[in-house]
Amino acid sequence: MALLTAFARVLAKCTLQTYNGPWIFLSALVFFGELKASAETSPSPEYQVKAVFLFNFAQFVSWPRQTSEGPLVIGVLGEDPFGMYLDQTIRGEKVNDRPLVMQRFRRVTEIKACDVLFISRSENDRMDQTLGNLKGRSILTVSDAENFASRGGMIEFFTERNKIRMRINLDAVKEADLKISSKLLRVAEIAR
Amino acid sequence: MPTFRQVNRLSRAEPAVAILIFMVAVTLAPTSDAQDLYAYHPPEELKRLSVEQLLDVDVTSVSKYPEKLSEAAAAVAVLTQDDIASSGATSIPDALRLVPGLDVARADAHTWAISSRGFNDIFANKLLVMIDGRTVYTPLFSGVFWEIQDTMLEDIDRIEVVRGPGATLWGANAVNGVIDIITKSARETQGLLLSTGGGTEDRGFAALRYGMKINDDAFVRVYAKYFDRDESVLGNGDDAHDEWNMYRGGFRLDWDPTPQNSFTLQGDIYSGDQDETYLVPTVAPPFSKTIESTDEVSGGNLLGRWTHNFAPDSVLTFQTYYDRTVRDSPIFGEDRDTGDIDLQHRFALGEIQEIIWGIGFRVTHADIKNSLNVSFIPSDRTLSLYSAFVQDEITIIPDLVRLAIGSKFEHNDFTGFEVQPSARALWTPGHSQTVWASISRAVRTPSEAESDVRLNPAPPVPLPPGLLTIFGNPEMESEQLLAYEVGYRVQPITAVRLDLTAYYNDYEDLRTVEPLLPGPVSPSRVSNKLSGDAYGTEISATAQVTKQWRLQSSYSYWQADLALDRGSHDRNTVSIDEGSSPHNQFFVRSILDVGWNVEFDSTLRYVDVLPFPKIPSYVTLDLRLAWSPLKNLEVSIVGQNLLEDHHPEFAPTFIGTQQSEVERGVYGKVVWRF
Repeated sequence: MALLTAFARVLAKCTLQTYNGPWIFLSALVFFGELKASAETSPSPEYQVKAVFLFNFAQFVSWPRQTSEGPLVIGVLGEDPFGMYLDQTIRGEKVNDRPLVMQRFRRVTEIKACDVLFISRSENDRMDQTLGNLKGRSILTVSDAENFASRGGMIEFFTERNKIRMRINLDAVKEADLKISSKLLRVAEIAR
Repeated sequence: MPTFRQVNRLSRAEPAVAILIFMVAVTLAPTSDAQDLYAYHPPEELKRLSVEQLLDVDVTSVSKYPEKLSEAAAAVAVLTQDDIASSGATSIPDALRLVPGLDVARADAHTWAISSRGFNDIFANKLLVMIDGRTVYTPLFSGVFWEIQDTMLEDIDRIEVVRGPGATLWGANAVNGVIDIITKSARETQGLLLSTGGGTEDRGFAALRYGMKINDDAFVRVYAKYFDRDESVLGNGDDAHDEWNMYRGGFRLDWDPTPQNSFTLQGDIYSGDQDETYLVPTVAPPFSKTIESTDEVSGGNLLGRWTHNFAPDSVLTFQTYYDRTVRDSPIFGEDRDTGDIDLQHRFALGEIQEIIWGIGFRVTHADIKNSLNVSFIPSDRTLSLYSAFVQDEITIIPDLVRLAIGSKFEHNDFTGFEVQPSARALWTPGHSQTVWASISRAVRTPSEAESDVRLNPAPPVPLPPGLLTIFGNPEMESEQLLAYEVGYRVQPITAVRLDLTAYYNDYEDLRTVEPLLPGPVSPSRVSNKLSGDAYGTEISATAQVTKQWRLQSSYSYWQADLALDRGSHDRNTVSIDEGSSPHNQFFVRSILDVGWNVEFDSTLRYVDVLPFPKIPSYVTLDLRLAWSPLKNLEVSIVGQNLLEDHHPEFAPTFIGTQQSEVERGVYGKVVWRF
């Protein structure tokens, strides 16, 4: 302990009671500049925010009783724009005692258990077919493909003045027997 | 240790060095908006945001939080729940030690002196403190009784700290800083949480919270907590007789009945006992005596808030609260009731303007129990405060230049009308840096003590009381500040954030204590005959070195040059005001995820000498080792102030309590969620 004390005191004296105080920050800057950022493969802020929205949807949506058992699955259909960010976002999280898990699907026919499904823009060409295939299942469909809500999807992300907006198709939500919290509806545009 | 003269000489040179650093950093900082410069927000950070805040994140810029311009163009620091938990702090004041630039010193086991940008004191009076929108500074001395400000620490969402004036939005008293403690909504605190432990200084503590869902739109939580803290020691190692304990309980209900409306109702009650030793005057020789007492404090509050969204960009908030505090000690007693109503409306005006305006009314009534040592005349007093503010945020050039101008207008019972305008500008060249500047005026209105007090300190040598009496002055004016600030924030690479600020504060009409008679022994009266300036810089850096290891550091420098106005004969105020805050402060913190569900956190802090009260510089080390054997269980062991058996941080002022020192402490803790 005495050694530690002495060391700390010497360190503090050298760095602070001389002219050097602020230089620590410059050294730190240079030092950290050498290190590679941990987040080099992270997606753009747009998809960081969208990933966190998918996580929030799990909390703001209630599913019919019979499907709300086992882990809550957040799926991504098509090319995954999130990298590892969505995995990191939901790691270790639980909603109503259901652990969150992430699954990636290449085809809509692969989807067995799924609660929230993000449909990538890569699926744009076969969107109608995809949505038709999901009809009657209690899966919250989310996408940033154009006109997603008016084509029968449930939550559409769009960007307006550099900020993310949501458009919700309430009919599609009702048809799937889902309920969306007023907290979410309040801030979204309702598709007509 | 260098002499005070040396410290001053060295300190004076440092702003120049800081400016040099600033320039170098600007030169080195990347200005392009290349792909790899995309902002990286760790998921934990974004997950803390509400849906509204997420929608407000500018997905093309680096802006860390969806800040309002008025905050982005200010020296803001945010302490998150993770920061608080990993610090091992067991009280709000101790958690505030980790806010860059804040000056936190403990005077005895239950008394803290906390300030920003100088002028620290147990009765520090230039800081505004709020808990969930409820102002907790007392008009008694325009400061904060820190020991009664508490809540369930695990339910705190974040603590936002603005250094520098925030008077335009928050009003008088937000002169040198604003601290806003924000708890989570009931929706986010569901289930049972038990946190308990004990050790050498924190002898025993337990907190229990239960949150439940009433229906899809309504959630509620209740909590109860208790702690028992050990007495600290005097300089010679003897017990200081200042142990204390407190019981506290509360609830919060959040209800969102429709998409447009949300309601919050919350409240707390508390009761505590604090041991204290007072040196008080007596009427008979030797004119002073020491008394040991157990002071009693208690109180409670109830707050209701209604938020109505006319549209996503038009939000009306109505808030009202009632707060009661009771304090009883041999030298002073106070029963205070406060009621407050506030209305605030924020809306977009066209494409480029956002207006925020509000009105408020507060009434406070105090019934004071006088003693020979401290008395108030009148002892029963009601004060009213009327306020209004408006601020316009204007986008001058989209994504590049924004401006906020506004003013607060207040009427108080001591000085009448006060106007507190400010102008803030924000420039965001490229996606990874922000430059801001501001000019603002703030006032610190007189407190009840400065108007009404009669303070008879215990004489240092046998002298009858009355010869040294300090009288309040009902004619006391507001202290005034004109503040100039600049700031620069940059994220040179995704994993590193730097925040630099510099300020120049021009003060007028600061409080003095004017002797009424010539000669060394004289009664005196409070007045406003001190002016001068203070300047400084605050630098903080955060680096996510690897996914598992985060480093945080902060350095702050402060210097004041004050002079008495013509005609003032004040003896001590200049040395106190220039000397009660450290010139230099530094800390570095490491948060390391060791693996195997083990976290190791360490904090090394340096605080420079206080010339007045004379306190030597100190270095302290806090360590925390936490292990989560199960998903819902965390066991931790925390060591605080490990480098010395005990060290002083502050000394009593105005009231004759003993100077006690902060001891090394170790405690263990278990947190269980289910």
